[in-house]
Order: sequence, then C-alpha cells, then structure tokens
Amino acid sequence: MVRLDEKIDEDIQAIFTSDRPWTTIVWDDPVNLMSYVTYVLMELFGFTREKAHELMMKVHTEGKAVVSSGSREEMEHDVARLHEYGLWATLQREDQSL
Amino acid sequence: MSEESKERQTGFRRHGDDAFVAEFSVSESEVLVNLVEQIIELLGERKDSHSDDPLAAMVGITSHDSPPDDDVLLRLLPNAYADQVDASEFRRYTEATLRAKKTAHAMSMRIDLKSASDGCVEVDHEGANAWLGAMNDIRLALGVRLNVEEKSHEELEILAPDDPLRGVYAVYSWLGWLQESLIMALMDQAL
Repeated sequence: MVRLDEKIDEDIQAIFTSDRPWTTIVWDDPVNLMSYVTYVLMELFGFTREKAHELMMKVHTEGKAVVSSGSREEMEHDVARLHEYGLWATLQREDQSL
Repeated sequence: MSEESKERQTGFRRHGDDAFVAEFSVSESEVLVNLVEQIIELLGERKDSHSDDPLAAMVGITSHDSPPDDDVLLRLLPNAYADQVDASEFRRYTEATLRAKKTAHAMSMRIDLKSASDGCVEVDHEGANAWLGAMNDIRLALGVRLNVEEKSHEELEILAPDDPLRGVYAVYSWLGWLQESLIMALMDQAL
C-alpha cells in the first residue's frame, strides 16, 4: 500500500511539475479587423507594434499563431482576456497537435 | 480578418493626450444605441439558473457548462479548449465573468452615447477600449447573421437592394470603419 501511495504521489508530482508549458493560440476570424487584432495584442500583452503586427500577420496568413506560453493558469487568464475583446483564442499543451 | 478603408466623415479623432472624440448624427447615435442594447439584452438572456445558490453566483460560478445554442452567443462566449470536458469546466467557472465584462463594455458605450451633447462623444483610453470591445461584439454578432464565414466581401458588396441583409451589411461596414478610426487614433499615441 505504501508503495502504491508513493507511486500516486509521484504521478501527481509529475502533473504539477510538468515542464511542457501551455500555450495560448489566436485563430483567424473573418470579422476582426487586422488593425484591431494588432491593437488588442499590444494592449493585453504589451507587445511592440512590430511584434503585434507580426503575430497578427501570422494569424491572418497561417490561420493561427501562438501569442503566449506558460502555466495553465496563466494561459487561462490570457484566453479569458482575449475573449473579453472578441478574439478567437484557445489554450492547449505546447506539444499538442493543432 | 478584413480590412476597412471607407472615406467618409472623420470618425474618432485624438484630442490631446487621453481624449478621443467623435460626432454622431441623431440617426447614427440611434443605430448605435439600438445595436448596443441588443448586445446587452442578448448577453442578459443567458442568465445563470443558479439563483438558488447565491454563494456560487457570488464567486462567478454558473450552472452553464455547455456552450450556448445560439450562434451569436457562441461567438461572443466561445470555448477556451478544443476538448469538450476542459471547455465545459472552464466555462462553468468563467462564463459569468466574461458576460459581465462584455456587458460592462456595452453599458459604457451606451451611456457615452446617451449622455453625449449634440452627438459629440468623448472617451479616455479606458473608455475607448470599452467602445472597441463593444463595437467588436456588435460586429461579431452582425457577422454571424451575415454569414461572413461563408460569404466573401465581394458577395456581400453586391447584395440586391431589396435584400434585408443589405442594410445589415451597410451597418457592419460602417462599424468597421468607425472601429478602425478609433484604433488609428489610439495607435498615434503608441508611436
């Protein structure tokens, strides 16, 4: 029994200390203006205009772009803020296929 | 995403360090108030059916863990995860807050319009962000009705004069232009 408990402890530990970060993805949307997406990325993430424009163009041309990465809680916070401004965003594990 | 470049009126302009001003005709103001009130109403329709649990309501937990049936509401309150179980869990704890924030943006825009003297609206940076969020929510809602996912910009431009969507598209385009003018005024500061 002790061994089993230790095993579970290890598993739980592994979940909490997983080094695979989470990512926030912004998806292309036919409604949102290109300038608006750029502006929202600057406002919410403090990106320079150049960086925000680069990410917006990636969303526009490739259909999606990773805009932030970190802990699951942090990414949930980022997605909620993006949803507040109407951007189409989701979060997922970094190595999860898109 | 789409680009807007309508040469009409002036839209929002920067006034000094932290003021953004636009003038609206009576009919323009009425259209905007009407649209923003529809957004407030729509968000309010998805009330929490958790009234029996005031504590849950207080901390923003709702009984909603499934996405809205209405396409417009689903676009305003989208899933945060591709996985349905994760999406439901996230929605249960966050949807009420998202609805409250979107409603606050819309209320802010509505009050600015209602209290404008001679149709002249003046907002600060924070107020401008509320307007951008609210105008975007209106455009997202109209976009669903116009089916912009399927239809091209060109197809929508040549709608027949008697097509009821023609007027909707005109408002949608005008809002895009208005939104763009406010973004440009805000971006001046960022340069």
